[in-house]
Amino acid sequence: MSGAATTFSILLRPFARIAPLHRRRAGLLAITVAALAFPLLHDNDADIDAAANALAYATLALGLNIVVGFAGLLDLGYAAFFAIGAYAYGIATSFQVMPDWSPFWEPFAWLGLVAHVPGSGGPDQVHFTVSFWIMMPVSAVLAAGFGILFGAPTLRLKGDYLAIVTLGFGEIVPIVVRNWDSLTNGAMGLNGIAAPRLFGYRFGIDAEPYYYVAVGLVALLIFISTRLRDSRIGRAWMAIREDEIAAGAMGVNLVRLKLLAFAIGAGFAGMTGTFYVAKLQTATPEMFGFPVSVMILVMVVLGGIGSIWGVVVGAVLLQLLQSWFLQDLTQWIHALGRLIGMPLLLRIDLVQSIELIFGIILVVMMLYRREGLIPATRRAPALTFDQQHAEVRRGSTIALQGLGEGAKSPHPALEVRGVTVKFGGLTALKSVDITVPAGGVVAVIGPNGSGKSTLFNTITGLTHADAGRVKLYGTDILGLPPHEILALGAARTFQNIRLFPNLTVLENVLVGQHSRLRTGVLGAILHLPRTKAEEKRALEWVMEIVAVFGNRLMPRLNQTVNGLSYANRRRVEIARALASRPKLLLLDEPTAGMNPAETLELAEQIKGLHALGLTILLIEHKLDVVTNLADTVVVLDHGEKLTEGRPEVVRQNEDVITAYLGRNTAAGSAAFV
Amino acid sequence: MTTADLLLQQLINGLSLGAMYSLLALGFTLVYGILELINFAHFNVFMVGSFIAMWTLQMFGLTGQDVVMTGLPLIGVLLVTFAVTMTGSGVLGVVIERVSLRPLRNVKGPAAMITTIGVSYILFNLILLGVGADSKNFPNPLPQAELHFGDAVLRLREVLIWIVASVLMVGLWLFVQKSKMGKAMRATAQDPEAARMMGVVVDRVIVMAFFLGSALAGAGGLIFGLYYNFTSFIIGFTAGLRAFTAAVLGGIGNIPGAMAGGIIIGLIETMGGQFISTAWTDVIIFSILVLVLVFRPAGLFGRLAPSKS
Amino acid sequence: MSESLLLEFKDVDTYYGDLHVLKQVNYTIGKGEIVSLLGGNACGKSTTMKTIMGIVRPTRGTVIFEGKAIERLSTAERVRRGIAPVLEARRLFPRMTVFENLEMGAYTRKRGPEFDQDLDRVYGLFPRVKERRLQVAGTLSGGEQQMVAIGRALMARPRLICMDEPSMGLSPLYVEQVFEIIKEINKQGTTIFMVEQNANMALSVAHRAYVLQTGQVVLSGTAASLRENETIRQAYLGEMQVQ
Repeated sequence: MSGAATTFSILLRPFARIAPLHRRRAGLLAITVAALAFPLLHDNDADIDAAANALAYATLALGLNIVVGFAGLLDLGYAAFFAIGAYAYGIATSFQVMPDWSPFWEPFAWLGLVAHVPGSGGPDQVHFTVSFWIMMPVSAVLAAGFGILFGAPTLRLKGDYLAIVTLGFGEIVPIVVRNWDSLTNGAMGLNGIAAPRLFGYRFGIDAEPYYYVAVGLVALLIFISTRLRDSRIGRAWMAIREDEIAAGAMGVNLVRLKLLAFAIGAGFAGMTGTFYVAKLQTATPEMFGFPVSVMILVMVVLGGIGSIWGVVVGAVLLQLLQSWFLQDLTQWIHALGRLIGMPLLLRIDLVQSIELIFGIILVVMMLYRREGLIPATRRAPALTFDQQHAEVRRGSTIALQGLGEGAKSPHPALEVRGVTVKFGGLTALKSVDITVPAGGVVAVIGPNGSGKSTLFNTITGLTHADAGRVKLYGTDILGLPPHEILALGAARTFQNIRLFPNLTVLENVLVGQHSRLRTGVLGAILHLPRTKAEEKRALEWVMEIVAVFGNRLMPRLNQTVNGLSYANRRRVEIARALASRPKLLLLDEPTAGMNPAETLELAEQIKGLHALGLTILLIEHKLDVVTNLADTVVVLDHGEKLTEGRPEVVRQNEDVITAYLGRNTAAGSAAFV
Repeated sequence: MTTADLLLQQLINGLSLGAMYSLLALGFTLVYGILELINFAHFNVFMVGSFIAMWTLQMFGLTGQDVVMTGLPLIGVLLVTFAVTMTGSGVLGVVIERVSLRPLRNVKGPAAMITTIGVSYILFNLILLGVGADSKNFPNPLPQAELHFGDAVLRLREVLIWIVASVLMVGLWLFVQKSKMGKAMRATAQDPEAARMMGVVVDRVIVMAFFLGSALAGAGGLIFGLYYNFTSFIIGFTAGLRAFTAAVLGGIGNIPGAMAGGIIIGLIETMGGQFISTAWTDVIIFSILVLVLVFRPAGLFGRLAPSKS
Repeated sequence: MSESLLLEFKDVDTYYGDLHVLKQVNYTIGKGEIVSLLGGNACGKSTTMKTIMGIVRPTRGTVIFEGKAIERLSTAERVRRGIAPVLEARRLFPRMTVFENLEMGAYTRKRGPEFDQDLDRVYGLFPRVKERRLQVAGTLSGGEQQMVAIGRALMARPRLICMDEPSMGLSPLYVEQVFEIIKEINKQGTTIFMVEQNANMALSVAHRAYVLQTGQVVLSGTAASLRENETIRQAYLGEMQVQ
């Protein structure tokens, strides 16, 4: 290491000894003090103004981060919401919209929201004078409303198409603004927007008060983002981002949560729009077009998609670049040009080239550092000392209370009646009848292509059935969306394992609890006692489940699952399903890919779950596992039920053997009977 | 002008613009059909193409509308200009693919699309910084021949545009339908792994798709210049929006669909501009885009694109 | 005798991530043979196919074709050297015509008299295919598609055809026809390596067979000897205890 680097690392060494939590808090304190003290220490109004702008863009980046970073929805028209918030405030405080006075406006005037302006040569008029502080939340709500309006028809589109449609909306809004002169004064821009007023003090041209408001705004939104990210809602968003189908199957209401992300992101932008035009006291359509949406995207990409502090840093860096660094660099290049006699260099103006730099940043980041400058940290809930040092053992299911409730039900756990599923011309399932008694274990077996996975997909709502009925403990579930079926008590695993790759083991399993928790946005942000209690209970439950697998998963709770072995990933998937406190567990080839020892271990664990009273339906092709676990075996062949019965009987059944080994239609050799 | 004449005039204009949008949409759809990638850079390749065309014509000593050529020299100049423009644009497209997209071929998510936004910005700003923000005069060597239908005018340039666009579209159609590489492209679009197992080198197919698509974009750029007599750094964005809508309208990935979609959008633009108002044209086109994607994502003629795994 | 060996797998180990899908697998396929690879669900049959075609590379071990190691070669190169696939579930190009699909089979070859010869041969073997040569492939029935898929492979004039589950999804009538064709093609000189779940059918046409279970070869031998072997049933039903 070079001398400077060595010195630097020596200087940092004492800090390394402080516990991470205290380090974080100290860092936060330092940043806060620096931010608050900045205008006092550096009394340059232009710089403070630039800093205020940078912070405004930081809030925009935070908002887009929720949509793109947390929920994985690529929104290329984000600036539209910025515009909505801006023009809402503009219209609410300028002289643009002035209806004729009538008694209707009296109460509003009394509240200070409008002013009665005497008409000069005409009727008296209404001048809107809504306070900045009232408009902030109002704009947020208004923009969020538009977020829902734009989102509702489009959020079911897949990624690329969603991006294009949002781009479309992002362009329509400024065009509407430009053309709806009467409301917005069109291309000439809305002027005369009132500056904010705080207890009689009117914000003037000094940048300082705006700077402090911006600091407050950023702090607020960082706070909200962090609280949301670490809550049930944040987990659900990230699950959607990682694997929508698995998220739905684990109880996440995709539509509602996507709309929520969109709306909250839009709300952030709306609030910022109000602040921004209050500062500029003018609004023009050019401030809100596609280039602005792209700029915010660049901030997010540069800082780190999904990383809260990352996008703030990205926004500030980009603004610094524009306002300070590039000017200086340009001077330097001009000087160099004069020095070496290269007139071309004198023509370069880096400030003008900012968009070129945006493009380069996007390409370079995507090619070389997709996670951004400050990658999103995995911050799973902190484990207590006891939890971290839990005794390492093979694990047992004794501790899992409450999984056996279903066994007491008078209804059969699952009734599949006459289910038929067709894909185009192919009949995947034909009039299949299966009954799973409460508290029982039923295995479905059959050769490749017999319809086993289609059966699971139909039961769990991922595939549409053309005929038949499915009842879960007496309730009809055919036709319900996957998250509702999960809520009713049917949880599943997938044949080719669908975990959330960039989330940790703990986070993956916690998603299973999503439908059993009630925390909403408010609870998440405010850390209500009810929320804290709920999370604590969820964490305890999850720990118990993870303990079922002994020392396999416990030491790996904070590892992201894409680094785990195949067998461990399978275990995490089963744990995730169990986290939802199911009354029926559907396992799709749980021992696939496991060696005999692992297979045996898992079979024992499944047996333990069954002993608690949990009803299990499993697809399995290892017949000894089936014999060990199942009360009843159902054999499917070419989409139809061939036979069913006790395992020992079924495996001797001629027809079953023929189904597996294939019919020999040539005359003669009927082997293997 | 009477309404009938106006209608005829806008029909002529619409078909010319539509031809240009068709070429653009075609190039875009060629790439999407194989890679399922929305290539934002495509429309700025179009813009760069129009500059290449302008510079080529200027090299022949043509500037503005002063110099007019006829007969063989004219045909020669036009042929050379088309060849240079299309080749240059094609090469640009290939370079973009190789440098910025191939490394991301197996990365899931929006990374590749975001990269094309970046490349688009780079092209756009390089031209802006290089030549300035003002519109440039695009040389027009065509003689002033005109046909009149009442008050509607059909100019030589429009006939030329129709001929060129038709030739290119028919040429592309024949290439994709009949040639070995064309069939390899179709096969790769339908089942890349099966195509590989037939011995198709998928990387080369992708390069060809980018070359052809970008070459068509370049031709579109040349047509833009001939039609409007100007070019500037900004033409990629507006034309791009319309061409993109055309591709979506026809069904992304569907070649005849892109051709039809382009004509339709061209007609909507001129008719809408004439009989409603030009200010609202953008909103109309965008609304069509949004409506098609929301209610009929497969477009008029397409089938639903396979979902990316 | 390696001169008459067309294809060999030597100690092939393949991993998908940490999943061990092929474990020390050894196959030999002699010129002119029909060799079948049998096994139940998820045993490594399709990974074997993909390894031969070059879609998957082995982690360890080597694949030898006509005496030369091919495990590092591209798929296109392997097709050029004479290996052609008949893919699982056919996977014809759905929006291309039957003729164009056949043409794609000959992608690595030049057009000319040999191409025409092979085309005639395919039409001769499959008159139905000739009838429908201008029809779009996606509109054909499963059995007809299978004929086209086999024809497509033949158009590469291969020395080895790799078939992946030729009987999957077909009605018994077509299954019979397909296996008749397999016998016929083999008689005409093409070596065939066939992955197949329908053990009965496969053993009625194959000369030799291997049985895979969870990535390991658990049985191998002539078809005749395997037909009499009880343990095949166990392997299929996933009962065999594997070391």
